[in-house]
Order: sequence, then C-alpha cells, then structure tokens
Amino acid sequence: MNRIQVLPADPRPIWSQIEEGLRRLLASGSLAPGDTVPSVRELATELRVNPATVSKAYQRLVGAGLMEVRRGDGTYVSAAPPAVRKSEQTRVIRQAAMNFASVAITHGAAIESAREALDQAWEELSSNEGGNR
Amino acid sequence: MTDETVVRVENVSVKYNKQLVVDQVSLEVARGSVYALLGRNGAGKSSLMRCLLGLQKPTSGRVLIFGEDVWEHRARLLARAAYVPETSDAPGQLRVRDVVAFYQSMYSTWDDGAVRTRLGRVGVNEAAAVSALSKGQRALFTLALALGSRPELLVLDDPTLGLDVVARNDFFSDFIGELADRGTTVVLTTHDLAGVEGIADRVGILQGSRLALDEDVEQMKIDRGQSLEQVFTELTRGSGRPS
Repeated sequence: MNRIQVLPADPRPIWSQIEEGLRRLLASGSLAPGDTVPSVRELATELRVNPATVSKAYQRLVGAGLMEVRRGDGTYVSAAPPAVRKSEQTRVIRQAAMNFASVAITHGAAIESAREALDQAWEELSSNEGGNR
Repeated sequence: MTDETVVRVENVSVKYNKQLVVDQVSLEVARGSVYALLGRNGAGKSSLMRCLLGLQKPTSGRVLIFGEDVWEHRARLLARAAYVPETSDAPGQLRVRDVVAFYQSMYSTWDDGAVRTRLGRVGVNEAAAVSALSKGQRALFTLALALGSRPELLVLDDPTLGLDVVARNDFFSDFIGELADRGTTVVLTTHDLAGVEGIADRVGILQGSRLALDEDVEQMKIDRGQSLEQVFTELTRGSGRPS
C-alpha cells in the first residue's frame, strides 16, 4: 500500500491525492475485490497526514461504491464494481478527458502524443492486474 | 460537540514597553481539530503562545480555553491540557521511569499503561537517564509525557525543531496515532511547513505581529492553487528577523 503518494508541495487537497492514489490501486488491480484496505489510522500514520483527511478520502470511495465498511471489521474493496449509469460514466469520462486535453494542449503537446500517453497509462494499469498481491 | 470551540483568542494584543508584538489577534480552534500557528521568528508566535498557556497576561484582549479565561483560571483549565515545549525541561540526571512516576503523581487522569507502551514502541529505555536520550528520543519522550495525562488540548511549540528526518517522521507518526485514537485538539507552532501541511486542519500566519491569514488548509489550497509553503513564502517574504 505504500504506492499512494502524498506530496506536500502539490496544491491539490491531500484527500484528493489519497483518493486518486487509491483509485489507481483499484484500477490496476493492486487492490482487488474483497481485499482489506488499511485502517484510517494505519494509512494516516504511514502517509503522515491527519486521520480526518484519510477518512474523507475513504468516505468518498465508499460513497462511490468502490469500497465498503464492514462494521467492526474494517474496510474492504467492494466485491463487485458499482453499477454506474451509462450517462454518469460518460459525464465523468468527458470531464476527465477535458482536464487531460487542457493539460496536454497548454503544455504544447500534439494530439498524437497525448493519445500515446493515454494508451501507455491504460496499458500500465492493466498489466499490473493481480500482479501485486 | 464537533463544532465546540476549545480555544478562543479574542482581540489579543501584547505590548512590551512601547513595542507592539501581538496586534489584535483573534482566532478559534474547534474541538478535535489541529491548528498550526506559523510565522517567521519575531512575528509574535512565542508571545501569543504564552498568552494561550496563561503564562502571560495580554496587554488587551483575552484567551478563553474551554470557555473560560485562561489567565484567571490557569491551574484548573491547564489540568485538561498538555504542553510540549521546544526543548524538554525534564532534569537530565533523572531516569526516564522516575520522570514518568513524577508525572503520574501529578495527574489523576494519568494512563500509565499507554505511556509505557508508547515508550517501548519508540525505543525509549525506561532505565536510561534523560540526558542519555538522543534528541529524537527526547522529543518522543516529551510527547509521551504530554499524552500520558490524556489531555483534551495539546499545545506544541515547534516540536520537530532540530530533529533529523527519521526522528521527525517517528514523531509525526506517533502524534498522528494520537489524533486517530483520541481526536485530541491541537495547537502547534512550527517552521516545518512540509510536515504540518498534511496534518493541520487550519493554519494561522503571523506576520509583523498581526494575523495575516487564518484559513482552512485544504480550502486555502483549492482557492489559491498553491501549497502552504508557497502561500507562506509569499506572505512573509522580506519580513521577520533572521533566525
């Protein structure tokens, strides 16, 4: 689980850095359905951040159906990925694509290299699948 | 209870002779939150902290802790608080276990089991003389003593000053465990912006004796698109006295 990184100098809120880090681990299969997620206390101490911040990231992922809390028994990766409505999926992906495209364009990247980077990222996440357990 | 105010600084000013070192500062610390007070040397941090601990009477204004004036009811209020000074004031020739016993005799809320577990975990030998501890161990020892009384309010004065990176990380891990377990309210001063960025809920920046900024840390980062270090540098550049 030490692959979640929190960079103090990063202007993004820390809960969002943690949420994105966890989403990456989920997408790559490093965290698979049914796996336990470290307790808030464990992850907070490891990352040296306020427990309330970790808790906020967890709450968002639980809210999104990606993780679930079993009372008295910790937090787990949900057994089945949440059923997201097609329209919601489209909306989220379009929004993320808009952010990605904006970053690429403002850094002077051509669309080909942006596509290539996306393909690479996709491949990297899929090739990790199940490999880190 | 979550929005209960534990510390309320009301319009506090401190004047030495004619020099104003704290100028009408007001701030609030909510129960269970971590408030980081930042500022370059000479910005008025120490004077404000002394007022907060009832060690000094503000020239004007007042500090309320748990709703009561700390200057007037210091002993009673501070029994519910603990203070971690910049350098431990435990006598060096005493053994660790003797200092622990002394603290135990002073606090009815003392949790001896938790203190011993904590000391064991961070590798502080109870038979060692305080003077034989490394700087990092001494900081962890001081923290363990402060937490031993199960305080509702923990005040720390630049707790990681002079610690190497390993000791600093140990200190923060231990401190964060306490936040997770007990939800203690914390006020700390520090120069360690990177260390505190992930921990503080709210940050106050003293600049030229005034509170130049008093904001929720995450909200500040969203609003300004800058890290705490960047905000601090911009606000305080060219001020303060050299350390």
